[in-house]
Amino acid sequence: MSQKGLGDILAKWRDNWKTWRTIFFVTLGVLLLLNVPFVTHHPHFGLDKYPGFFAGFGLVVGLAMVIIMKKIVQPFIARKEDYYGD
Amino acid sequence: MGTDIFIHPAAGFLILALLVPFVPTSLWKNKALRGALAIIPPLVAIYSIFSVEPGLYGNLHYLDQTLTFGRVDKLSVVFGQVFAIISFIGCIYGMHVEDRGHYVCASLYVAGGFGCVFAGDLLTVFLFWELMSIGSTFLIWQARTKESVHAGFRYFLYHTVGGLFLLAGLLLKYKATGGFAFEGVNPGGAHLYDWLILTGFCVNAAVVPLHAWLPDAYPRASVAGAVYMCAFTTKTAVYVLCRGFAGWEILAIAGTAMAIYGVLFACIENNSRRILSYHIVSQVGYMVAGIGIGTAMTINGAVAHAYAHILYKGLLFMGTGAILYSVGTAKLDELGGLATKLPWVMVWYMVAALSISGMPLFNGFISKTMTIAGAAEHHRTFLALGMEIAAVGTFISVGIKLPYFAFWGRKKEFTGEVKPLPVNMYVGMAICGLLCIAQGVYPDMLYRYLPMEVEHAFVPWTMDKVINSGLLLGFSGLAFYLTRYIITPHKALNLDFDWFYRLIGKVTMKVFCWPSAKVDDIWTEVYRTVGLRALIGMGDGTSWFDKKGIDTVVDGSAYTVRNLGRLGAKVQTANLQDYLALAAVLGLGIFALVWYFG
Repeated sequence: MSQKGLGDILAKWRDNWKTWRTIFFVTLGVLLLLNVPFVTHHPHFGLDKYPGFFAGFGLVVGLAMVIIMKKIVQPFIARKEDYYGD
Repeated sequence: MGTDIFIHPAAGFLILALLVPFVPTSLWKNKALRGALAIIPPLVAIYSIFSVEPGLYGNLHYLDQTLTFGRVDKLSVVFGQVFAIISFIGCIYGMHVEDRGHYVCASLYVAGGFGCVFAGDLLTVFLFWELMSIGSTFLIWQARTKESVHAGFRYFLYHTVGGLFLLAGLLLKYKATGGFAFEGVNPGGAHLYDWLILTGFCVNAAVVPLHAWLPDAYPRASVAGAVYMCAFTTKTAVYVLCRGFAGWEILAIAGTAMAIYGVLFACIENNSRRILSYHIVSQVGYMVAGIGIGTAMTINGAVAHAYAHILYKGLLFMGTGAILYSVGTAKLDELGGLATKLPWVMVWYMVAALSISGMPLFNGFISKTMTIAGAAEHHRTFLALGMEIAAVGTFISVGIKLPYFAFWGRKKEFTGEVKPLPVNMYVGMAICGLLCIAQGVYPDMLYRYLPMEVEHAFVPWTMDKVINSGLLLGFSGLAFYLTRYIITPHKALNLDFDWFYRLIGKVTMKVFCWPSAKVDDIWTEVYRTVGLRALIGMGDGTSWFDKKGIDTVVDGSAYTVRNLGRLGAKVQTANLQDYLALAAVLGLGIFALVWYFG
């Protein structure tokens, strides 16, 4: 497909971002539901025998990582871009 | 298609490096001819690796030692194979580059990588290890920017120190054992020399805290050069660790720490190529951890992950390199809205991004899960959990943050000039992307080459694994969505361990410079007060003598001296890069002489 053809499609997708957001949330819901019958066969972490473990893990770890790194750690270690002079 | 001879994959690259400077400029300017010449060594390497039978090839007697250049077994073949493939792809991606230096440096670098992988003894490893170090340093300088010059020097200095650890280990080992055997070391009976060798390897594997050279140098390498850089140095180190140090507990812990450390820094980084560099540290962490745990499954996982990683990381650097080439910057705060302007770059970048994140259908899914499952099955629960944490961070940074702020980016849009990309860059990205997908869909394409025999073959494509991966990544995505205003990248330099390296550098400079500066000061003073007067007196006397008698005799030799001086001045460009190149050429020359007459 040409650059422009694909570019136009992507531009359209970008304008419809709300639809994509809905699709994203619905997919998350469907995956969670599917996790009930298809739960981990050989749980290794204990809690992963329950459905939704990896959903909770991803969400909590993701939130904690971003907030701790951006809000707490970065202010201590951030310097101006030319700090080393190169 | 077995064969009894082994065409060493490095040979073609070394010949190319020698040939390139002598190709007439009129022919060199022709892109098709140039590309055709450059693609021969990767093709020869691919043929050689797919056709060779396991065995020992190419022994060379040198300095009373037997160097083995061709140890061909399952482990070296799988690394050789992926090296050959990425050098083929990298060659296509960089075909538009006219600078001969790029081809020479890349060829030497790739040859070094192949040399290490097929080396049967530690001395051969060391020789090619240093060749890689020199090749990659020049490849960084190929970017030809001021900051790449500085970064290249730091990189070289650092790798020289790493190389010295390796050399010290080698010499001590030789003294103790009388040889340079390169076999697995039992962690229980390790000696000092094993630890020194391990340290040398760990520098190249970017094991935290020895890693900071990587995010310092790689983002500053040239667009085409970075594709090679991200494949060879760290993965050669993974190979030698796998060969020599499997089952070392310290590696299991260090690897998991790397996996997490890399994603944490990537999370706050603004420069897209530096984000990817931190993710090399993180992904190599999985491999190092797999090697450290040391079961058949985790070693297979490490090797599979190295294979998959070389492909998707190459593609990630190709994608961000394409952005840099096209718009002139790779900093996320300056980008935005490129999806409509560089749509195919976005597509191939996303293939790589989903691969590194371990999304089902892409090759990271079949390699990363193997290492984690191997760790968990071996009851290394905390290590496995650490790797899962890193997986979350990977998807947030490389899978969403980078593409979101570069290709989409809310209402912000890059408005500068967007230079069209040469077709060969797209072709390189497409080949790499299709391989990532093919391996993800059809894992046996990769699994059949894995070195260890396992009792129960790992099956990634089961319903629960697919759903678990989907949930982990999907809800990491949700975390990004909720924190999208917090994670927005800003211009900043984040301090890392290189702050300490620089401190060590500064202190060392002070220690050496201060006394010599003092001596110099005193000497200057003495010279000014005593020496100068004496010299003036002597000068008067000799000038009289000179005028009366010598002039006619000496003029001839003065001309000779002057001409010699000019030649000397030409060699002494005061450019450290030139000295390094000269030293490398001299080194090779001496090597050849010793070999010939020795």
